[in-house]
Amino acid sequence: MRIPRGAIGPALILLAGVGLFVAAGRLPVVPVPGQLGPDFWPRLVLIGLVGSCVLKLLEVARAGEPAAESGPSLPLAVPKLATGMALVLGYPALAPLLGFPLTNFLFLLAFMRLVGTRRPLLLVVTAVLGTVALLYVFVKVVYLPLPKGAGVLEDFTIFLYRLLRIF
Amino acid sequence: MWETLANLGAGLAASLEPLNFLMILVGLAIGIVAGALPGITMLNSIVLVLPFTYLMGIVPSLLLMTSIYIGGVFGGSITGILFNIPGDPMNVPTTWEGYQLNRKGQVRPALGMAIMASAIGGFLSALILTFASPPFAKVALTFSTVEYFAVVLLGLASVVVIGQVSVAGALISLFAGMFLGTIGTEAQYGITRFAFGLAVLDTGIDFVTVLIGLFAIGEVLDQLSGVKGPGGGDAVTPATARAQLPSPRQLWALRGSILRGLGTGVVIGAIPGTGATVASFVSYGLEKQVSKHPERFGTGVLEGLTASETSVNASTGGAMIPLLTLGIPGSGATAVMMGAFLLHGVQPGPLLFSKSPHEVYTIFVGMLLANLIMIVMGLIAARCFAQLMKVPEPILAAFIIAFCFLGAYALRNDMSDVWMTMLFGILGFFMRRYNLPIPPLILGIILGPLAEQYFLTSMVSHGNDVTVFFTRPVSAAVLLTTVGLLVWPALRWRFGRGRAYEVRKA
Repeated sequence: MRIPRGAIGPALILLAGVGLFVAAGRLPVVPVPGQLGPDFWPRLVLIGLVGSCVLKLLEVARAGEPAAESGPSLPLAVPKLATGMALVLGYPALAPLLGFPLTNFLFLLAFMRLVGTRRPLLLVVTAVLGTVALLYVFVKVVYLPLPKGAGVLEDFTIFLYRLLRIF
Repeated sequence: MWETLANLGAGLAASLEPLNFLMILVGLAIGIVAGALPGITMLNSIVLVLPFTYLMGIVPSLLLMTSIYIGGVFGGSITGILFNIPGDPMNVPTTWEGYQLNRKGQVRPALGMAIMASAIGGFLSALILTFASPPFAKVALTFSTVEYFAVVLLGLASVVVIGQVSVAGALISLFAGMFLGTIGTEAQYGITRFAFGLAVLDTGIDFVTVLIGLFAIGEVLDQLSGVKGPGGGDAVTPATARAQLPSPRQLWALRGSILRGLGTGVVIGAIPGTGATVASFVSYGLEKQVSKHPERFGTGVLEGLTASETSVNASTGGAMIPLLTLGIPGSGATAVMMGAFLLHGVQPGPLLFSKSPHEVYTIFVGMLLANLIMIVMGLIAARCFAQLMKVPEPILAAFIIAFCFLGAYALRNDMSDVWMTMLFGILGFFMRRYNLPIPPLILGIILGPLAEQYFLTSMVSHGNDVTVFFTRPVSAAVLLTTVGLLVWPALRWRFGRGRAYEVRKA
């Protein structure tokens, strides 16, 4: 028997809901007479979640295979999307190591290139000016202690801050 | 009555003094910009200006804060309409309609209507505050956690009517959001729930990270994945970057939406602990229910935008009622304002009106003026932000993500918030692709913890007797309204008026 594509998501959420319901029962509760425990509300919510998944599965089953609105409707540019997601996740991953200024510069450069900016000069100038502008606003004006990086890169960030007179 | 008018006259003269008037202008500018930027909230701005108020008198201090408050609740609608990035959760319903209007090439009337609805809502609520504070306060004082729970439940129930692919899909999203709201340290027993040993989850998930991720980053990734351009999406760049204010005729045609938004905003705003977010969702849901064409909601309907935007700003006047008349701050913003009162040796409460009428009426007039001036400031701000739409899409998309990074980091100066934002951004992409509606999840994560808190406190206070929700008249009335809200679509469908009522993508 083939599982309708639209049923996979709700089925997975349903399983997660059941697992979390069990996990809620293992919360360290110190019973207080006359009071509901800390597991009460999450369990109530999870019952709602599991019930909604059952409703959705019934809806999918009734609609037939596959439910029109249950799957992706537009073609995906998978390599572009995967690179975009990697950049989005790489941004916070690298910031503590490289420092915000360098990470932001590299991120702006890479993301603008990915989306479609071809001219190298425009890319570099926008990334540099954009990073400097963000540093001025968020370090100088808002006093946000942005990540400075590790090791020699921290020294580089501090050098840059001093150069820009924001440190 | 004559005494009130005389006090208002004196208040007007005081409000127009250079320092006081300057504080109104500065406050509005700060509020609109802070409200428009995701992650930098209006509340943060009010807290940040608190130290500066030490040097001022009570009147300019309060005028500065109330103007930030008024500008802040409006500001988020600008970026919502232009970029599908609401500055604050309270601007989410405005974003649903406003961004769709933008995509249809009607960004100028959408911005103009948002400005006008905000100004009207705020102005009329300030008038109500001026003339009807005491009776309002008396009613609000009778509310307990039982009534608060009923009101929050009404907000949660609005998910069924705000329009989605399917009710089941919306409920999955809502309950998932409510579950996310249970993660972290629980208030009553102090134990950590569902952190699974991850320190990052111990303090819970900040809903602002969810909001920024799902809306802003999810949108950019969604545009990146397909044939459409990223950043501004398929929104239409306006020929001129000016908001177009509605004509008196257009405003008259929308009078019902404005009045419903005003009523919802003032009443819900006056209930401590609820505020503008609940007001905006409830007023949007209500507007959809009374509409002759509910199926059009979510495709760019001015009525929806008008009602939610009116209610958001109307809640500012409402929220000041318990603060000034009872000395009870009902929201974060009014709590900081109460701090400013106390710093200057003034105790808000029933005696405030007799002991410090000059200060009180200057604040009232200041609020009225601020809402009028906001029309001009809103036009200027909309024009400035609209210029961003002319920025090439690759640059805009990259900078949107950079601002998301900074907005999330600014919450607690913690990289874990940035991680959360990015991960929710990816989740937002998949929710879009699989047509799981995002708004119910946002609603669930914001209102879920409130519902839990009010429910459990009610149970402790009433010996776990759930019938208390039905035996207290206000709670019973609100619950009845909730049931009506849920049953009404089915009745409409059953009796023919809404046979064309079709579910659609949120």
